[in-house]
Amino acid sequence: MDKKLLTIDVSHGTTHDGPGMRTTVFVKGCPLHCRWCQNPESIHVRNEVWWDASSCIGCLSCAAACTNDAIRPLPGRIHIEREKCRSCGACVEACPAAAMLWEGQEYDLESLLREVLRDRTFYDQFGGGVTCSGGEPLLHAEFVEAFFSRLQEEKISTALDTCGCVPWENLECVLPYTNYLLYDMKIFDSALHRKFTGQPNEKILNNLICAASYMRSADHPIKLWIRTPLIYGATATVDNIRRIGSFLRENAKDVLERWEMPAFNGVCVSKYEKLEQKWDYDGMGAMTRQQIAPLRKAAEEFISKEKVLVSGMIREE
Amino acid sequence: MSEVQLSFIPKFEQSERIRVLEARNQELGTNGMRQFDDYGDHRCWLNIGPFPKMDELPSTKQGYRMSSEQWGEDYRFMIENMEPHIYPCETIVGEVYWEIGLLRPCGTTGWKQAPNADEIGKLMDEALELGGFPNAYGHTCPDVEILLKQGFDGILERIRSSLKLYTDLDNKRRASFLRGLEHVCLGCIRYIEKYAELAEQLAREPGESDEKERFRRIAKCCRNIAHKAPADYYEAVQTVHFAILFDRCTGHGNGYGRLDQYLIDFYRAGIKDGTLTREAAREMIAEMYMKLRGQYFSFAGRLEDGSDATNEMSWVALEAYDLIGDYNNLGVMWHPDIDRDYYDYACDVLARHGESIPVLINWDLMYESELRSGIPASEAWKVVYSGCQWYCIPGQEWCGHDTSEIDMVKPMMRALKRAAEGGADDFESLYAMYEEEFHRTMRAYQAAEAAIDRVRGESQPEMFTSLIAHGPIERGLDITAPRGVDYQYSSLNILGIPNVADSFTAIRELVYEKKMFTIREVYEACMNDWADNEIMRQRFLNQPKYGNGLSEPDEMFVRVCNSTQEIAEGYYNQRGGQPMRPSLFALMSHVEKRAQIGATPDGRHAGEALAHGINPQVGCSKRGLVPLATSAASVDMRKFQGGSIQVDIQPKFFDGKEDRFSYIRDFSIAFFRQGGQQINLHIMDLSKLQDAIDHPEKPEYRNLVVRVTGYCARFITLSRDYQEDFVARVNHANMN
Repeated sequence: MDKKLLTIDVSHGTTHDGPGMRTTVFVKGCPLHCRWCQNPESIHVRNEVWWDASSCIGCLSCAAACTNDAIRPLPGRIHIEREKCRSCGACVEACPAAAMLWEGQEYDLESLLREVLRDRTFYDQFGGGVTCSGGEPLLHAEFVEAFFSRLQEEKISTALDTCGCVPWENLECVLPYTNYLLYDMKIFDSALHRKFTGQPNEKILNNLICAASYMRSADHPIKLWIRTPLIYGATATVDNIRRIGSFLRENAKDVLERWEMPAFNGVCVSKYEKLEQKWDYDGMGAMTRQQIAPLRKAAEEFISKEKVLVSGMIREE
Repeated sequence: MSEVQLSFIPKFEQSERIRVLEARNQELGTNGMRQFDDYGDHRCWLNIGPFPKMDELPSTKQGYRMSSEQWGEDYRFMIENMEPHIYPCETIVGEVYWEIGLLRPCGTTGWKQAPNADEIGKLMDEALELGGFPNAYGHTCPDVEILLKQGFDGILERIRSSLKLYTDLDNKRRASFLRGLEHVCLGCIRYIEKYAELAEQLAREPGESDEKERFRRIAKCCRNIAHKAPADYYEAVQTVHFAILFDRCTGHGNGYGRLDQYLIDFYRAGIKDGTLTREAAREMIAEMYMKLRGQYFSFAGRLEDGSDATNEMSWVALEAYDLIGDYNNLGVMWHPDIDRDYYDYACDVLARHGESIPVLINWDLMYESELRSGIPASEAWKVVYSGCQWYCIPGQEWCGHDTSEIDMVKPMMRALKRAAEGGADDFESLYAMYEEEFHRTMRAYQAAEAAIDRVRGESQPEMFTSLIAHGPIERGLDITAPRGVDYQYSSLNILGIPNVADSFTAIRELVYEKKMFTIREVYEACMNDWADNEIMRQRFLNQPKYGNGLSEPDEMFVRVCNSTQEIAEGYYNQRGGQPMRPSLFALMSHVEKRAQIGATPDGRHAGEALAHGINPQVGCSKRGLVPLATSAASVDMRKFQGGSIQVDIQPKFFDGKEDRFSYIRDFSIAFFRQGGQQINLHIMDLSKLQDAIDHPEKPEYRNLVVRVTGYCARFITLSRDYQEDFVARVNHANMN
C-alpha cells in the first residue's frame, strides 16, 4: 500500500460532497483530463509548485533558491518554467510569505485520520461524514480502503466520489467500507467522452453495472448518487442526458438514490491562472433556468422526479 | 427594517402601541438622547442635561466622605429627584436620567478618594506596567427574585432589623453601611411612589377613557409595588424593570438572571385566572426590552433536579424580542436535554434577525465550571449566562466579572527580552521564562487588586445590587466588600492568548527547530516593529496559526491557556482568599490597547488589533468555520470563566446549504458537544456594512444592531475603530 496519500486539500465543513456536513479529502491524480475540470491541480499525480499572487511580496527569494533556474520574474508576476522545474521544493522552503506552494500535501493514514476525526461531533449532528474525492481516489484504492475501514470502525459515514475510470478491483475493495457511492457519469457517447476527458467510457459504464450488482447483494446498504456535471456543449445536451438516463433506468434504477446534476460554475478560473494554464471555459457564467429546464425534463423521463436534483448556482435569466 | 440584515419576516404582528413605542425607542437610540460613548449606545440613560441639584447633594453639602452611608444618601437624593415621565402608549414606566458616578467619584476611579490613594495608585501603576489591570468596578448578577418575593417593605424590614443588631452590638462600620442601604431602599420606594402620584393625577385630568384606564393601571401597580411584592404578572414585569433601572443608576449594567424562571408563576397565574394572554405577556416584555439598553436575560438551562428548565415564559421572552427585533443581549442556554422545539425557535430567531440575539451558550459547561470553583451543586444549578461571556450565581457572586484584565503580550515580551540577553538555549527554557514573567504579572496584579479590595466596599459600593443579593443585608457588608457575598473569586479577562500561542509556535519552529533566526533577532525585530525586516515578518506571519484545526498551533494554544489558568489559580484575592479565575475574553481592549502594544512574533505589527478572546487573530482563520470551532473547543472550558467564538458570516455563506436555521442549530450543537462554550453569530452583508460606515445618515442603517464583543450596539453609534474592526471580522469568516 502507498504509505502516503497525496492530497490537494482536506476541506472541512463541506456540504456539496454527500449528505450533511463533511470533511472532503481531495486526492491528487486523475485518469481523466476533463476540459472543464474544477480542480486542475488534482489531475497530475506529480506534486508541483504553484505561485499564489495574493500572498507574494515580490522578494524573489524563490528565484534565488531555485536549483535549476526555473523561476522567472515577469512584470507583476512570477513565472515557473515547468519543463525546467524539478519539483525540489527549494523555492517553497525559501518563500517567507507562503506564496510558493506545493499543490499537494502528503498524509499518512494516522495523520489523515487524526485530522478528520476532530470533526466527529459535526458529522454526527449534521448526518455527515468523510468523503474521498479528487482527483481520483481509487488510484490509491488500498489507502482509501484502509482509511474507510478505519472510519467505519469509528462509526463514521463514508462517501466515495469516483469517476469510475479504474480497474474494477480498485472499486470492489473499497465498496465494503463505503456508505455513499458518488459516481460520475459525464458523457454517454464513448467517442465524445474521449474527446472531452481523454478516455473512452466503457470501463466506467461497466464498473457501474458491477457496482450496482455488488450493491444488490452487499451486507450493508450503499447509497448510489450519480453525478453529471452540467457543462456547456459537452454534458449539458438533452441527448446526452437522455442516454445516461436510459442507461441508469436499465442498469441501476433499483439502487439509485439520487441523480445529481451540479450546474456549471466558473469559480475555479483562478486556479488555472495560478497554474498558468488556459481554461476553455474562462468567462462562462452560471447557467440559466431556461437552459436547465429541458435537461431536467429529459432526466425525469427516465428517473423519477424526486431523485433528480440540479445543484449549484443557477441564474434567473 | 434595515436592508443590511436578513429579510426579517416578523413572526408576530406588532400592535399600533408597540409600533409607537418602537419608533420612539429608535428615535432615542439615534438622536443622542440615549447617551453614547465609545462603546456605542451601551449606556441606558436618557440625556436630559446635568443633574440640577448638585448644590443640595448630601456629599456637596457635607463634604465628600469615602463612605457607603454617604453613597446611599447621595443615591437616594439622586433618584428621589428623578422626576417621573409617562410617555405615550407605555404601560411599563421609568427611565434613568443620571448615574451615581456622574454625581460623586466612584466607579473606575472611586479608590482615588481613599486616604491611601497614593499607595494604591503606585501599586496600580506597577501592575499596569507588568500587564495587570485590576478594575475598581465589575459586573455581577443580582437576584431579582428577592425583590419579587419580598417587595421593598420586606427588604426594608430586613435592613432595619440587621441595623438594630449591629447598632446594639456597636459594630459601627456595619451599622453605617446599613444606614446607607436604608437610604437606598427608601429612595427607590419614593421614586416609584412618585410614578403612582403622577399616574393618579393624569388619570384625573380630562382625556380619553382608554388613556385614563392606562394611567389608572400604572397608578395601581406603582402604589402596590412601591412597598409590596407584585400581585400579578404586569406588576412583576414592572418590578423587574424598576430593579434593573435602580441597579443601572449605580453606573453600569449587570446580568439580570433567568427571567423565564422567576416570572413563570406570575405568568401561569395570569393565564389561569384569565387576566393575561400570551400576547399581552409578550408585549409587556417587549416594552421592558425597549426601555433600557441591553438587558442580559437568559432562558432555558436546567433546574435543580437536572431536568430541562424551558417553560412557556422562555418562549414568551424570546417571542418578545422576535416581535420588535431591537437591541438586546439575550441568551439561550443549551444542554443536551433542552426542549428541541424551543432551541429550534431560538436558532430560527437568530437566523431571521441575524443580529447575534440570542447568544447560544452551553449550560452544562457553565455549571461544571461553577462546581469546579467549589460552588456546591445545590447552588451551582442556579448559574446563568449574565453578560458578554461570563456567568454567575444570581445574588451570590461578586467576582469583578468582565472588567479586570491581564495583557499576556507583556509577560511574553519580557521573557523574550530575557532570552535575548541569554539563557534560553531551547524552547522549554524560553517557556519557563514566560511562566516566571507571568507570575510577576500576577503578583503585581494581586497586590493592586488587594489594595483596591480593602477600600472597595466604601469607595465604590454597589448598594442597590447589594439590596437584592444574598448576604449584604444580614452581614452589613456591601456586595463588593470581602465576604459581602459567598463567592468572590477574581475573574480575569485574558488578552492576547492566540497571539501569544501563535508567537510561541513560530518561535519554536523558526528559532529553535530550523534555527533560521536567533531569539535576539526576533526580539529586536519586534521592538523595531519589523522595520526593514518584512521578509522576516512574513516568515513569522506564515507559520501555522491557531484557529485552523491544526494540531500543532492548537496544542500550543491549549498549553498557553492551561498554564495561564494553573498559574492564575494559585493566586488568591483579598476577598476571603478566593482564587483568580481567568476568562478567555477581552471586552474591547484588543482594539483599545492596540496602540500601546508593540509588534509580536506572530507577525503582527505594532498597533494592530490583537485577537479577541479565543477568536483567532483577524486574517489567520483560513480553513473555515468548522476548523475554527474545533480549535476553540480544544481547550477545556470548564477551567475558565467563559470564552465565546464570534461567528460573523455573510448571507452568501448559506448559498447551497439547506437552510440557515438548521445550519445554525446543528453547527452550534456540534460545537457544544465538542466542548465549546458560547457562540455569538451574525449574518451581515459586508458591502452594506461598509456603506453604513460611509453613510450613517441613511435611514436603513438606523436600527442596524451588531454584537461588538460581549454586548450589542447600534452600528452607527460605534467609533470608527470599532466599526472597522467589526468589518474586518466579518470579512474573515466568509468561507465554509
